[in-house]
Amino acid sequence: MSDLELEERFKKRLEEKFGGDISESTIQRRRRLWLTVKPERLVDLMRFLRDEMGFDHLATITGMDLGENLAAFYHTTDQHNIITVRARPPRATPVLPTVRDVFPGTESYERELEDLFGIKIEGLPAGRHYPLPDDFPAGQHPLRKDWKLTDAYPEPAVKEAK
Amino acid sequence: MSKINVPLGPQHPGLKEPINFGLVLEGEQVDKATVNLGYNHRGVEKAAEERTYIQDIYLIERVCGICSHSHTTCYITCVEEIAKAEIPERAKAIRVIVAELERVHSHLLWLGIAAYEIGFDTLFMYVWRDREHVLDCLELVAGNRVHYAINTLGGVRRDITPEIKAELLKRIDVLEARTKYYTTLATEETTVLARTQNVGVLPRDLAIKLGACGPTTRASGVARDVRKDEPYLIYDKLDFKLITADTCDVFGRVVVRVLETVESCKIIRQVLNYLPEGPISIKVPWKVPEGEAVNRYEAPRGEDIHYVKGNGTDKPERVKVRAPTLANYHAVPHMLQGGWMADVPLVIAAIDPCMSCSDRALVTDKAAASSAVWSWEEMRRNGIEFYRRRGVDFSKVTLK
Repeated sequence: MSDLELEERFKKRLEEKFGGDISESTIQRRRRLWLTVKPERLVDLMRFLRDEMGFDHLATITGMDLGENLAAFYHTTDQHNIITVRARPPRATPVLPTVRDVFPGTESYERELEDLFGIKIEGLPAGRHYPLPDDFPAGQHPLRKDWKLTDAYPEPAVKEAK
Repeated sequence: MSKINVPLGPQHPGLKEPINFGLVLEGEQVDKATVNLGYNHRGVEKAAEERTYIQDIYLIERVCGICSHSHTTCYITCVEEIAKAEIPERAKAIRVIVAELERVHSHLLWLGIAAYEIGFDTLFMYVWRDREHVLDCLELVAGNRVHYAINTLGGVRRDITPEIKAELLKRIDVLEARTKYYTTLATEETTVLARTQNVGVLPRDLAIKLGACGPTTRASGVARDVRKDEPYLIYDKLDFKLITADTCDVFGRVVVRVLETVESCKIIRQVLNYLPEGPISIKVPWKVPEGEAVNRYEAPRGEDIHYVKGNGTDKPERVKVRAPTLANYHAVPHMLQGGWMADVPLVIAAIDPCMSCSDRALVTDKAAASSAVWSWEEMRRNGIEFYRRRGVDFSKVTLK
């Protein structure tokens, strides 16, 4: 295990600080740590990662449809390691807080979660759709597993040429 | 002086691809800028879930026309990690050669565009003429000039023969010599200096705070490069310099890119001479086990990150692509603020933006597969319908 010393240290530090609020922390391999956090502690955890542990770059946020739950994976990095923080809001009330106060450059990633997965991001100012078109039907989220193309486009916009 | 709002784009002669900037001008100076994205969404991530891992290689290659190898390599390393496939050293080396050729190609393309935006068309023409060498190299190695399709699950599709190696070495010498000449030109020519120095300034701390990446941050003095920080493929065995500049402006971005091109030429030469013997690919079952992986890759424009989740079938459960340009966009309004209107196209070009990369995703229209390419008549009818819904009637307009 000696080659995973650094990863163990990260894991221990986070577990000490956040205790029961984080779970499923696993070292997947060298340089990769995964953990799940309760949505209400997400922002605190992100701030801790940035300020105390040097994970000052949020590379992206991956949205996921897990059935009962939706999920957002926050891939943070200190350039050498990636700590992925999972937050899993329930599908019935999918709400997550914004992490913009910690990582200001993440607006488009959070809008993607809103548009493509229908995860409401609390604290994200009202704005245009991204990346879907402005006239995309409301309440439809293409990357959810139950979404079909015909939901938004019942028939081709242009049928047959003359 | 009263302020004027100027929408720039999504269709504008000063932009090469669809994006919208909202500029607030005070006289000729930019007071405030905002950025709007999403004009190029093609639904690649959704489409990837409906295709097999092999098909996805070719789909993901088309996320971007310039860093196509970057995206497939990043994706395929995730898949191979999930499948626990250790690919042969020779395959890794060939991937690096194509990656660095791609970087040379991308940076020279960018230098040409930057020269064009500066108004230095002679440089633009010369750079693009020399860029033909690297496109020929790519064609020699991969068979294609743009979408190389060299990657496959478990390795690469084509080998590098001694003849190809000899030809590459010859052409790399030419490219390196030419790039060195452009380095001198771009850093000493007075018109280039006048147009780039102190233009589009992005301070170091802001670059980090906004999560920018690649040459954009390196030009702000941030020594970050995935090839150095988290070496993938065989980069840990290679000797190359991490280039940074501390001027934080467009000039710095020019310097970083031209010097990186020289470094890439050095890398290609090293790898060609290192090229270990052995097979170029291994067999990997098409059904990939359950699991997930996230990997980063230093694309020509910066850090590219892919996340792949497998569910035990031959199709991925989820593929996530974050191209470097998306990370750099939010820095652009800061670069524009306080600058001049005339510098706007240059500053935007200086992050080397790639719209289709960031927006990825045309909804794949299965029902109308035959209409994938619309006829002029169909496009016109669709346009008329689009504006009719917004209260403008163009149906009476006839075209000669």
